[in-house]
Amino acid sequence: MTSVSATIAGAAVAVNLAAAMLMVPPRTAQGGATVDAAAAIVRTADGKPDLSGVWQVVNTAAWNVESHHASKDVPAGQGVVIDGPIPYQPWALTRRDENFKNRATADPESRCYLPGVPRITYMPYPFQIAQTPKQIAILYEYVHATRNVYMDSEHPRGPIDWWMGDSRAVWNGDTLVVDVVHFNDQTWFDRAGNFHSDALHLVERYTPLSRDHIQYEVTVEDPNVFMRPWKMSMPIYRRIEKDVQLLEYECYTFDGEEFHVTPP
Amino acid sequence: MKSRWIVTAVCAASCLAAIAPLGAQNVPRRADAQSQQWTAPRTPDGQVDIQGYWRQTNNVTTYSLEQGEAHRAVHIRITGQRAATGKPIVDPPDGRIPYLPWAAEKFAYLVSVHEGPEHAVDLDPVARGFMEGVPRINLQTGFQILQMPNQVVFLYEYGHHYRVVPLDGRPHLDSSVKLWMGDSRGHWEGNTLAIDVTNHNDQTWFDQVGAFHGPDLHVVERWTFTSVDRLDYEATLTDPKVFSRPWVVAMNYAREKEDGYEQLEHAVWEGNKSVELMVRPKGDAASR
Repeated sequence: MTSVSATIAGAAVAVNLAAAMLMVPPRTAQGGATVDAAAAIVRTADGKPDLSGVWQVVNTAAWNVESHHASKDVPAGQGVVIDGPIPYQPWALTRRDENFKNRATADPESRCYLPGVPRITYMPYPFQIAQTPKQIAILYEYVHATRNVYMDSEHPRGPIDWWMGDSRAVWNGDTLVVDVVHFNDQTWFDRAGNFHSDALHLVERYTPLSRDHIQYEVTVEDPNVFMRPWKMSMPIYRRIEKDVQLLEYECYTFDGEEFHVTPP
Repeated sequence: MKSRWIVTAVCAASCLAAIAPLGAQNVPRRADAQSQQWTAPRTPDGQVDIQGYWRQTNNVTTYSLEQGEAHRAVHIRITGQRAATGKPIVDPPDGRIPYLPWAAEKFAYLVSVHEGPEHAVDLDPVARGFMEGVPRINLQTGFQILQMPNQVVFLYEYGHHYRVVPLDGRPHLDSSVKLWMGDSRGHWEGNTLAIDVTNHNDQTWFDQVGAFHGPDLHVVERWTFTSVDRLDYEATLTDPKVFSRPWVVAMNYAREKEDGYEQLEHAVWEGNKSVELMVRPKGDAASR
């Protein structure tokens, strides 16, 4: 390859990346005309929305799911909690504030543990949905976390303490509704110390808005920690770069040969 | 005595995979021309349909690929159990990894310290909680295969490893990108899924005793659907700076037929204490 063509190829890559970062705007045309969103949804042979592909969230929920201003290395963000603040029980709010103060070492992310659900969804790494009629595997780049979402089946009998919970789903129209239980109490919702107990129960809703957008909504229920169920909502964007694929972020391998973490 | 307990504990998890059914064939059979003669079921998009859960039938562990007498003796001493006898290296015929002289020396060193190295870098990376690499993951654990248009997905129970194998003819990643599990590109040849795996980092080992490779490792896998309940696997490993010739690891897999079978969460890193328990820094007499 000549240096000129190499430069052109490099520029093309840069353009592709820039296009991918900008993402495609929602398919609502200017002037009031709307594109038929249903027609734009990709479907599988059995008529269900096909969520297959590489996806990523573009927001600041990884730092704090609630609204926050900027601080060092933390971009400001409009929260993803609907009708916030999060309805903590009084003791739990105190605990959340302690978590925040101690977050540099207390955040399970600092130990590279499996981050739990829904946190894994809005961390700044891509994930891939691999959809079959009976099972939808969600593969995450971050510490190669996985979830197996089984369709039309029952949760196994608990108690079970899993980092990523147990996921069972049904289609409700074009919305994939995932019921998730059997969590441990070791994961947080973000880097700001928002937390839950092992009684956490989630209902996730994945609703395709277009070929390249999914609206993600999650209802969080945990009677040990919150006064009532609460919700978060955010769009998920398809990574549209040519040949995009998951790579690896093996968090715990980066800290030198003697690195190991033992829980206190 | 402490070190025996430790190694036993580390082995306990991985050695579970060694429990093979009666009639297991310790030297894997290799697929032949006959395996292409039957009409395999197809997925809606026309791929040979190999979806389902699979488990190995060759009594192989990832303790030692070579399964030489010396390695087996160590295994028996530290575990008190008869070592598994599966021998996955089918070429060269002597079942030994064809290391170049310098690499044979390094391998011998790693074997000599593998029960309690002075430095964590000389401890099995999988014991440290790191990813297995290819082909080791295929010897470690049962797995599930999902297929969809233009890709095959492998879901392994051990340490929630996964692999996504594109079938769309895209090129490999730039060679500067190194991955624990390598970069897989697949295509179908009759009843055989051929996967070219490149971009390996130089941090993974093939087994617990120290069989290693360099950053130029190239793995060519052939997954042959021999019959409706059987997959025959071969991986040809090439790394001219480390091996004197290509060599081949083989395995046979049977379909897991248990009704309602599902893989469970298997978190490895989160509870891992192997470095703390197994690495013996110089002068640390208490841990010897």
